[in-house]
Formats: sequence, structure tokens, C-alpha cells
Amino acid sequence: MRVELNGITVRFGPVTAVDDVSLGIEPGEIHALVGENGAGKSTLMNLLFGLVRPAAGTVVLDGVERRWSSPQDAIASGLGMVHQHFMLQDTMTVLENIVLCAEPVGRFGFVDFAAARRRLDAIAAEHGIAVDLTREVGRLSVSQRQTVEILKVLYREAELVILDEPTAVLTPQEKDRLFDTLRNFRAAGKSIVIITHKLDEVMEIADRVSVMRAGRLVRSSLLDETSRQEIARGIVGGELPEARTRKAQAAGDVVLSVRDATIARRGRPVGPVSFDLRAGEIVGIAGVSGNGQSELVRGLTGLDPLLSGGISLCGQSVETLDVAARRAHGMSYIPEDRQRMGLALGASVSENANAGRDDRSAFTTGPFLRHGAMMRFARAIIEDYRIRVAGPSAAASTMSGGNKQKLVVGRELTRNTAVVVAENPTWGVDIGAIDFIHGELMRMRDSGHAILLISTELDEVIALSDRILVMYDGAISGEVSGGEANREDVGALMMSRGKAA
Amino acid sequence: MMETGALNLRNVLPWLWTVLWIASIVLALLLFVGAPVGEALSGFWQGAFGGRRHAYLMATLSRSALIVGMAISVMLSFRAGLFNIGGEGQLVAGGLAAGLIAILLPGPPLVVLAAAIAGAMLAGAAWALLAGVLQLYMGVPLLVGSLLLNYPIRYIGSYLVAHPFRDVPSGMVQSYLVPQATWFAYFPGTRLDIGILFTLTATAFALVYSYGTLHGYHTRLNGLSADFARTVGLPVRRLTLQTLAISGAIAGLVGAIAVFGIHHRYIDGMLVQPLYAWTGIIAVLLVGMVPWAVPISGFFFAAVQTGAAGMERAAGVPKEIALVIQAVIILFVASRVSGALSSRAGRGDGDA
Repeated sequence: MRVELNGITVRFGPVTAVDDVSLGIEPGEIHALVGENGAGKSTLMNLLFGLVRPAAGTVVLDGVERRWSSPQDAIASGLGMVHQHFMLQDTMTVLENIVLCAEPVGRFGFVDFAAARRRLDAIAAEHGIAVDLTREVGRLSVSQRQTVEILKVLYREAELVILDEPTAVLTPQEKDRLFDTLRNFRAAGKSIVIITHKLDEVMEIADRVSVMRAGRLVRSSLLDETSRQEIARGIVGGELPEARTRKAQAAGDVVLSVRDATIARRGRPVGPVSFDLRAGEIVGIAGVSGNGQSELVRGLTGLDPLLSGGISLCGQSVETLDVAARRAHGMSYIPEDRQRMGLALGASVSENANAGRDDRSAFTTGPFLRHGAMMRFARAIIEDYRIRVAGPSAAASTMSGGNKQKLVVGRELTRNTAVVVAENPTWGVDIGAIDFIHGELMRMRDSGHAILLISTELDEVIALSDRILVMYDGAISGEVSGGEANREDVGALMMSRGKAA
Repeated sequence: MMETGALNLRNVLPWLWTVLWIASIVLALLLFVGAPVGEALSGFWQGAFGGRRHAYLMATLSRSALIVGMAISVMLSFRAGLFNIGGEGQLVAGGLAAGLIAILLPGPPLVVLAAAIAGAMLAGAAWALLAGVLQLYMGVPLLVGSLLLNYPIRYIGSYLVAHPFRDVPSGMVQSYLVPQATWFAYFPGTRLDIGILFTLTATAFALVYSYGTLHGYHTRLNGLSADFARTVGLPVRRLTLQTLAISGAIAGLVGAIAVFGIHHRYIDGMLVQPLYAWTGIIAVLLVGMVPWAVPISGFFFAAVQTGAAGMERAAGVPKEIALVIQAVIILFVASRVSGALSSRAGRGDGDA
């Protein structure tokens, strides 16, 4: 399918999210759409998919101008989209999820699951992707869920497949498998649009690359006609930040010590896990998501109780204390899920910035709030962490992903605690924000704070950590010192239990 | 966003449509039952706001005192993310406690009155806390627990005024009168008792609490996202119980207002049948739990109810049709208001 977007403009209230963008997508082509968060990539694709309406411009499919009144129209015309946040029903099976809203109806109005199964078998055979159709989606791994989303799109006979940050949740091996599938689609003549932040992937798989910045299309060219540096400059609108250098620094006293901690999860418990964290070091915990990292974090922060084992924080055992007491003892936490745990999106920036603050007397008088003091505090964070937002009284939901994350990071790091637990702190944020957040974590380390960095982004762990622990299947499968880490060694530990390096 | 005239028109236009819809449906209903339209409408208006020396306006205010009080109670727990729909039980507990204390406790009237009001608030708070304890320690969802607790207290009340404390000579299922000296005074020259002052005080408290206190701020964060509240270390359990206690205490206070201001005794069903608690819930949901709008919303509901009664009196519109008209007005206004509030809140949630 040949798609042309002509002079597309999308506005949300006073904000112009996409500004006069014209773009062509050819059949049998993998088209990478790159740019920072808030550059308008997702909005542009949501428009193509009928989720938002343009203020100006036209969508032309195979020479015919089209207008969608809903995504259903777009699907019926052969478009399919795999969203960044999967849209699946956890309690239904894979098969039920796939046929949902496109059920083959048999006699007497019953759903003909047998027919659906036959078609999916054919699709699986053609494209070499398969997943157990009878499993409940809630029991699948993230990459399996993504496969379900892709099958959903294929089942609806999509000719154009849009994938929004498909590799954010995958291991290197799973990513390779996904890319094989995409190449297979290309060979079958389908058009593929892949929205991504990662230049490596663009260089690896794209035929054509389009760069967006601040709602505008900066450039769109064949991959062969451009270079990695040129794309990167287009994304940030200038020169790239330099690679980070680590200041050599001897680690100090142990500030966080975890001994044989086990934490409940569905199925087998996580653990036992033991490690020490010293002042002035960043310890990275690498691993494919779902290998017990999130349970470990919940156990450390006090969100979930330990089944057994102990945690000592600054010399005091804290495993029986609640979240507030652990925070007061010197722990800050940057959660992975900024939308649900990091921020209250319905509240203002100021209300979010002041939540969980220790120095209560600085913004209250007796039981009453001092709104002025809260606003000043929020404004200081906005400035120090260069958050782009209308002001401290704007709703947190009005910020872009990167700015939301900077607010969470700012709130937690401003507390200046001995220990900082950072869980995927740059998940889904743009290059500029990633660099800034990495810089702040490094600055905390250099000034003698201890940072536990839990990340599924291997490059991030390698770039920042003094030591790297790898988690696999609920336990620590090995430790690598930061200086000598290479992707392959750590990658091997991510896939196996106890092959310690 | 709202500086141009064109946009103002766009804001007003939906309201015009709402009014037109209400007008045409009400007209159709009135024509259907053959009621004189002019008289019915003026009856409605008079019934809500008119009367000799504004007697009906006073009736509307008197009703508002109870509905707004219940709405405030509901608003405090809903904003904290606690779906306490047991306001009715807490209201009954308060009314019952107020009535019994006033009947049984000897002493100077002011002391008795103060003790009865305090007792009513404690009873309401205790009944709400019971639902909270059921949720936190027994795993009964608050929505279910608070609702189910409405029934036992209602029948405990029925039993008490049907048997041990029944005013037998009156021939009704009701308690003895509370001492006359404890009755709320009327505002001079009106039939409006001073109970509304208690509601106004509770409203003022709720507004200051919601906008200006640390506790109100923390409970609001919990209401917006319980996960967030836990992550930043707010004491979620304690906030839950404290908020329920405050919410229940206000419902109990409303029960006391009904006893000392209106009925002067506990009559079986007097707090349940007029659906004060449920009207309060709808009044809060109508304005999307925005604190300052809650009293206005409560007053609106009271006015629609007394207005419908006035229409019945003045133009002989059958009671059932008056109730249908009441429902039509509420339905259209509700869809309009909550539509406007939610579209404002739901805008611009852009991640990635």
C-alpha cells in the first residue's frame, strides 16, 4: 500500500503537535520515524490510524483521499497499529484477544473459533510467528504479548503496519526475532512504519528514515543517502552530547545491604538475593524484564513485604518498616511507571513535586498548607531540572513523557538521600532527557550517594554502572565490574542461571 | 483558550440546547397530562423559590441543609478515592444517636443539645469506620461494605422506635419528642431553622480542608492515584480511616440537624425515604467532586425537588409526572455538567 500524507497539521488546543508534515510511505519498505519525545511522531501515526483528526492536510491511500471517522475505518482499509502500551485483555486467551471485534461468525451467531484458528495457523506458517493460542494473555511475557498484537494486525489483513517503539521492552535476542518478522513482512510487500528512539535499530533495519523535531519533518531520505551522525543531528537539532566519562572514585561505606531477600510473586518467589551497595557507586542491575527485578524493587522500597531475609539501610535493619519510614531513613525511589506510581497525573506539578517531602514544616503551618512555599519549591525543581511545562500549577498530565520523568527524578533526587533506587529511569524518554537524567545520576554518585540502577536497557547499565549485577529467573546470575563489561558477557548472563563471569 | 467571542458562543451553545431539550420534554409531559402549562411552570418556580414571605424558598433551604450536608460528607470520601456509599447508614446512626441522647440525658438543654450533636457525629463516624475496618482488615471492598452496613442500622433504628422508645400514644412508629428546649430556633419571621448554619459550617470546613490542609492534600493524592500515594510513602491506611471518620461524622451531624431542626424526634424512615444520602451522592458526581461546586449542586437538587412539589400543588400535575419532570431536568443538566467537567479534565494526557 502506498501512503501519502500531505501538509498534515494537528493541534491540541493552543499546541501544534504536528506542523505541516508531508510524508510518503512505499509498499515493501521499512520506514523508520525517529525524533525526540513530543516531536510529533506518535501523533502523526495516530492521525494516520484515525485516532486524532487533522486541522489541515490530507491522507491519500493508493491515490485515493481518505478520511477516517474512527480507527475502525482505518483498520478496514488495511492499516494496523501496534501501540507502545499494548491493548490486550489480560483475562482473555490469545485467540479471544486476536479475534476481538473481528470475530468470524458461524451459524446461529456463535463465534467460529475453529475458522479463526485455521486462519491464524496459516498466518503463522506464512510469517513464521507463533504463540500458544489457548494461553491467557495475562500469563504471557512482554515479547509474547507483542507477538499477539502483531498477529492481531495480520489477522485483520493489514497492508500497512505501524509499530510504536516495539523494541523498548525486548531483549537483544527477541529484538532480532522481531526484525526477522518485519523483514518477512517487507518481502511480502507490506509497508512498515517503525517509531523508535534507537539509532542502532534504524541503521540495522530501515530502508527509509524520516526525522521529526518539534512537530516538523526535518528530513526524509533513503537510509543509504544519509548517515548516523546526520540523523542524530536532525533529532536533537544540533551537535550530540559527548559520551559520558566516569570519574574514578573509591567506593565508601556500605549504605544498603541486602541479605538472602525473597519476595513473593506469582508462581515461584524471587530470590534469595544478596548484595551490597556502597556510597559513591552506581550498581546496575541488568536483566530482561520479568526476571524478578520489579519484585526486588518493591521489596526494597517497602511496597511489598519480604518473605524472608533482611535489608539494612545506613546500618539499620529496615525490612519491617513501611515505605515512609524507609524513605525517612535515607531512600529515594524513581519508579519505572511514571504514569501510575511516579506521578498523580490529575494533580498539579506543584502537588506532585511536594508529595512525600520530608521537611514538612517548610511548606505547612500547623495543619495548613502554604501554597506559596509549595509553588516556590516546584518552581525550583522545574528550573533545576529544566522541565518544560506551563508552570507549577499546570496539571502533571500536560507534560510530555520526558518532562514527566524529569519531574519524578527531580523530586526524588532533591531529597538528597544516601540511597537512590532508580528503576528504568529513562524508559521511553527522548535523547536529551536521557542524557540529562544520566548526568544527574552521575552527579549524585560523584557527590557520594549510592545509586541502585535497575534497567532493562543494557547500554544504560553499561554506561553508568561501577558494578553490574545480572538478574535471571529471580536470582542474581552473575556480577561484572563496570569498566570491563561488554554487551556479550552481560547478554550471556541475562539468558542463563549462574554462569558467573 | 477562552478569550475570543466565538469560543464563548461555543461554550454557551450546548447549554442552550440543554435548556431547549428540557423545555420541550417538560412541555410534552404537561400537555400529555393536560395540565395548564403557565400555571405549572410558575408553580414550579414559586414552589422552589417563592411563597408568602418566601416560605417555599425557606423549605428549599431547609432541604438543602440536609442534601448539601450529605453531599459534603460524600465529597470528602470520594475525593480521597474512598467509595463510601454508606452515607445513609451513617446518617441514620447520627439521627438515632441524636434522638436517643436528647430523650435520655437529663440536664440543661444546651448541654444536652451539644452532647446529642457530638454523639451523633461520633455515631456516624463509628459507622463509617466500621466499613473502613471491614475493607482494610477483612478485605470487604468499601463499596460493598459501606452499602451493606446501611441495612442493619436502619432496622436497628426501626426496632428501637417500634419497641423500647416508641411514643405509643401517637400511634406512629416514632420515638418520643426530644425536649422542646433543645429544638433548633427558627430564623426570625421564617420557618427556617438554624440547622443550615451547621451545614454551612461543615461546608466551610470541607472547603478549607480540601484546598488548604496537608491532610486534604494527601487524601486527594490518594484519591487520584493510590499507587502513587503508596510509592511516595503516604500513610494510606491511616488516611483512609481518618477520612472515613470525618465523612461519617458529617453524615451523623446531618442526622442531628434533621432531628432537632425538622422532626424533633426520630421517626422510622424519616432519613431514608427522602433519599438524602443518595441525592447527596448524585449531587457530588454531577459536579465531578469539585469542592466549591458541591453546595451549589446540592441546592439545585433541593430546588428541583421542592419545585416539583410546588407544580403538583399549583397546577394539579400528578405527583408521578412531577417526579418524571424532576428526573428529566436532573438527567439533562447532569449530562451537560459532567460532560463539560470531564472534557476539561481529560485533555492533554500525552505521553511519548
